[in-house]
Amino acid sequence: MKRERSLIQKILMLEIVRAMWVVFRHLFVKGVTFQYPHVKRTLPDTHRGALALLRYDDGVERCVGCDLCEAACPSRCIKVVSEQVPGKPLVRWAPEFYIDMTKCVFCGFCVEACPVNALGMTKLYEYSTENKRDLYFDKKKLYEIGGTYFADAKAYLVAHRQEQADETAMQYRYKFPFPVLTEKKE
Amino acid sequence: MGTRDAKEARLLGAGEEIDLEIDGEKVKATSGRSLYDVLSGMGKIIPAMCYHYTFTPFGSCGMCLVEVEGKKAPVRSCTASVQSGMIVRTETPPLKEAQKKALIKHLSTHPLDCPVCDADGHCELQDFTFQFGIGEVPNVKQKGIPEDTRSIVLDFNMNRCITCGECINICKEVQLVDALTFMKKDGFTIVTAKEDKTLYCEFCGDCLAVCPVGAITNKFSKYLYKPWQMKKTQTTCPYCGDGCPITVETKDNRIVRVTSRLSWKAKWGDRADTAKGHGGICGRGRFGFEMVNSPNRLKLPLVRKNGDLVETHWLDTQDLVAERLTKIKMDHGGQAIAGLISARCTNEDIYLFQKFMRIGLGTNQIDGTARYGHMNVVMALRKAFGTDRIRMMNNSEQVTKADAIFIIGSDITETHPVFNLRVKEALRKHKAKVIVADPITTHIAKLATHPLAIKPGSEPRLIQGLVKIILDRGLCDEAVLQKYPLAVEALQQATAGITIETVADETGIPVERLGEAAEILAKAERGVILFEDGITKRKDGYQNVLNLVDLALVSGLFEKDGSGLNALCEENNELGLVDMGGASEFLPGGFDYQNAEARAKISKDWREELPSPPQAEPSADLARILDRARKGEIKALYIVGENPVGTLPASMGAAEALSKVDLVIVQDPFLTETGRLAHVVLPATTYAEKEGSFTSMEGKVNPVRMAIEPIGESKPDWEIFSELAWRMGFPLEYGSAKEIHREIAKTIPGYFTTKPEPLPIRLSGYLNNGYAKEAFARYDLKPSNGSADYPFTLVLGQILYHSGKYSTQAEGLMKIYDKALLQIGPADAERLGVAAGDKVVLKSPMAAVEVGIEIQPALPSGLVFFPEHFNTPPVKDLIAAEIDSVTRVIYHKRGPVAIMKGAS
Repeated sequence: MKRERSLIQKILMLEIVRAMWVVFRHLFVKGVTFQYPHVKRTLPDTHRGALALLRYDDGVERCVGCDLCEAACPSRCIKVVSEQVPGKPLVRWAPEFYIDMTKCVFCGFCVEACPVNALGMTKLYEYSTENKRDLYFDKKKLYEIGGTYFADAKAYLVAHRQEQADETAMQYRYKFPFPVLTEKKE
Repeated sequence: MGTRDAKEARLLGAGEEIDLEIDGEKVKATSGRSLYDVLSGMGKIIPAMCYHYTFTPFGSCGMCLVEVEGKKAPVRSCTASVQSGMIVRTETPPLKEAQKKALIKHLSTHPLDCPVCDADGHCELQDFTFQFGIGEVPNVKQKGIPEDTRSIVLDFNMNRCITCGECINICKEVQLVDALTFMKKDGFTIVTAKEDKTLYCEFCGDCLAVCPVGAITNKFSKYLYKPWQMKKTQTTCPYCGDGCPITVETKDNRIVRVTSRLSWKAKWGDRADTAKGHGGICGRGRFGFEMVNSPNRLKLPLVRKNGDLVETHWLDTQDLVAERLTKIKMDHGGQAIAGLISARCTNEDIYLFQKFMRIGLGTNQIDGTARYGHMNVVMALRKAFGTDRIRMMNNSEQVTKADAIFIIGSDITETHPVFNLRVKEALRKHKAKVIVADPITTHIAKLATHPLAIKPGSEPRLIQGLVKIILDRGLCDEAVLQKYPLAVEALQQATAGITIETVADETGIPVERLGEAAEILAKAERGVILFEDGITKRKDGYQNVLNLVDLALVSGLFEKDGSGLNALCEENNELGLVDMGGASEFLPGGFDYQNAEARAKISKDWREELPSPPQAEPSADLARILDRARKGEIKALYIVGENPVGTLPASMGAAEALSKVDLVIVQDPFLTETGRLAHVVLPATTYAEKEGSFTSMEGKVNPVRMAIEPIGESKPDWEIFSELAWRMGFPLEYGSAKEIHREIAKTIPGYFTTKPEPLPIRLSGYLNNGYAKEAFARYDLKPSNGSADYPFTLVLGQILYHSGKYSTQAEGLMKIYDKALLQIGPADAERLGVAAGDKVVLKSPMAAVEVGIEIQPALPSGLVFFPEHFNTPPVKDLIAAEIDSVTRVIYHKRGPVAIMKGAS
């Protein structure tokens, strides 16, 4: 139903005045938008960003190459190649590790599946590139992210109650059964 | 033993029928059977971790609990036997609680290392933990036992062991090897090799297959996989004639491991079914897979340019080969072209090869691996039986259930490790009498009831002696006497010149024991003769096989059910090679090439004329092909998978013959000794990268399926022939191996069967046509006068861990056995004054070779053994090859040598 406007209203164009008042009032309101990339938003610890491979404090790779992340991944973007550590007959590791970030759906299942907390999700989300192949993260790249964003990944694990905040990471470390019974060389 | 025997007989169901009630259901069962067997036969799945139908129930895991009315506590159903009127309940809440308790007991000492355990996802303990929903386990304790990595094949992680004893039981009861045992160590029971030594056994890997947890792991694929990642392909083992079904498990186009039906997952079965095979495989089948992904594989065709073999692309190579073959055919005709094919190829490959050679290149000069010995069997039995296609007369089930088994000239444990289990089962379960005639104290000879340690080389005499004894003592089968009186009479005349004493003297077996053996064989209800290279790959192999036919005839094996004469095949598809026409004498289907009618039929099928059979020389066998090549009459030689230079002794002059040929094409997955002399080397695929079929020695045609994509640019053999033929203008166009398969099925009706019908035997043709004269000549054995200068007999033979030269490309098998050492008996070693590790010089009229030695207690005096798989040092060159006058088989596996102490 159309409301009749009075002549005075028509002449004075009060709508404009009212609108300008709103604009004027917003001069004094704190802004919602912020100036990305100059200003960045604070992300929660549970944020699911780029995946990273982590090391223990002594620099040893956490990953034991158990392939469970690969099994848990719903989009099949993880590929683990596992083998024995050369020279250490009982230690399992992953000489190659790939995550195809173009396929990743950031569900976080792999982090949950990892028995040694070797995977973590960081707050890194700026890895867009001109070359799609660069999004096929290999082991080197994943450890690089893990090195730079270790605090993020740790916070993620803590937030998901997979690890404690203090220095308890070592308690998740897998102890391989040592020593080994080997044949004596005659 | 007594009580165990009785128990086993009961387990097999030798008892009266009784009634019992299980979960309210009335059931009939044979008394004495294990309650678990009866329950699983009803389809009830009772959790059990130590049970497997291939051996006697052990009762260690405590999971298979059932309630029996009248008993207070739950009963272990596997060790309990069924009794009349028993009332059994299998599903009650208290039972579940009891089972849960048993499971928790296992879990309390089991480490939580599933993430790094190879059995993760294929673990019975894991499955039950999920099934029973166990979260927390109280009183956890860790064993802390160091992992035993001493063995070259298996790692024992005893922290994970649940002491179910499956590994020990299968080793003891199925393999009769008894290599493993329980031992107490630091308060825990562990599994270890006998006397806690380093495990060195047959490495069949059955313990690995049945381990329900990850306590026993395979070194060659350790940590490389998780069970769920693997693509599984059912195919057939490429090593020996047993034709065992195997599962090739691959990941990323790489074979990670090979498994078989035997596993803790296949624990339910009929105990009588093991007679058809227990589902396991042998060491070379299980651990010999690395040859497929070997770095030595050829990836591109090689063409000789300026004296060197240079990698060239397929298109250029094919054009070159097609052009040169066409030119040779135009200039010199089909007579200038010859071909050799290996019995390692599939039926489809062999079929297409002979078709390509015969109608494409217009030559009938084809030969194959069968010419090294199997041809003796084929020719002799074809003649005797009047059958086109020769295979074993008995299947493995019949061998298992035979009551007398006569093994001659075969170290069956080493050559056919899985078929050998049938003989062992016959011995153990069915109490068969097993006669093993072998100069070497082989593993089966040690187990045999009647081992005959004959003198080296006296096998023909022994066979004749047994025939003589059977005839003289009137043991000859009644039916045979009635059916073939003339033949028996002829045999009596033929053996008249032999006295039993001479036989006893020549074989070194006392007369009484010969008599005993003859009696067992003649009186057997189901008698089986097994023979192999000790008969076929030695001088007069053809006559020896015919002698065995005589022995089988007089002992009535052709008349009785479940009896027969069986030749074992060394290579996986030797039967297929002959059936597909991979020899100049035979057309596909085993028809004689001279047979005009069969030729007409094949010509009609192929819509092409077959080359006419040469009149002067009926067969173009390997020796003749090499001869003609040496004379320069052969211009092109197409060698598929064969390696005459590496196999035949240097005196055969294969290398020289090849150098006279204008175009030598070698098609092989590897660069062999022959390949190095070739002008063109075409990379072929192995069994894992192609489709097709192998014919086992029983006559079963087993499928071969593609497990991985061809390595590099290698191609299946049939594809190479097909493409070459297309280029040469006579299209043999096949889209896949399946199409060739269909054509074979049309050409040889009823060929592709896994249940071959009994071999039809028509002896009358053989026994009524000049048999007397022929037999008389055959029994006139001249005593072999061993030269005093060369007192030792050198035997080249197979060992358990290898098969031909193919398996030496498998890294794992080379780790198990790479000793190219001469084996010598302790008596001889002492006399020569040599010890293990010394070097001796072997001398023969042909050559002299220095070789390291190994003391082998099983060897008798006067016999030395060298594994044929190794060519360095070139021991094979010591032997003067001989060619059989009838079958043209080249005998090159044994010869006289002298041994001298070498410079250490």
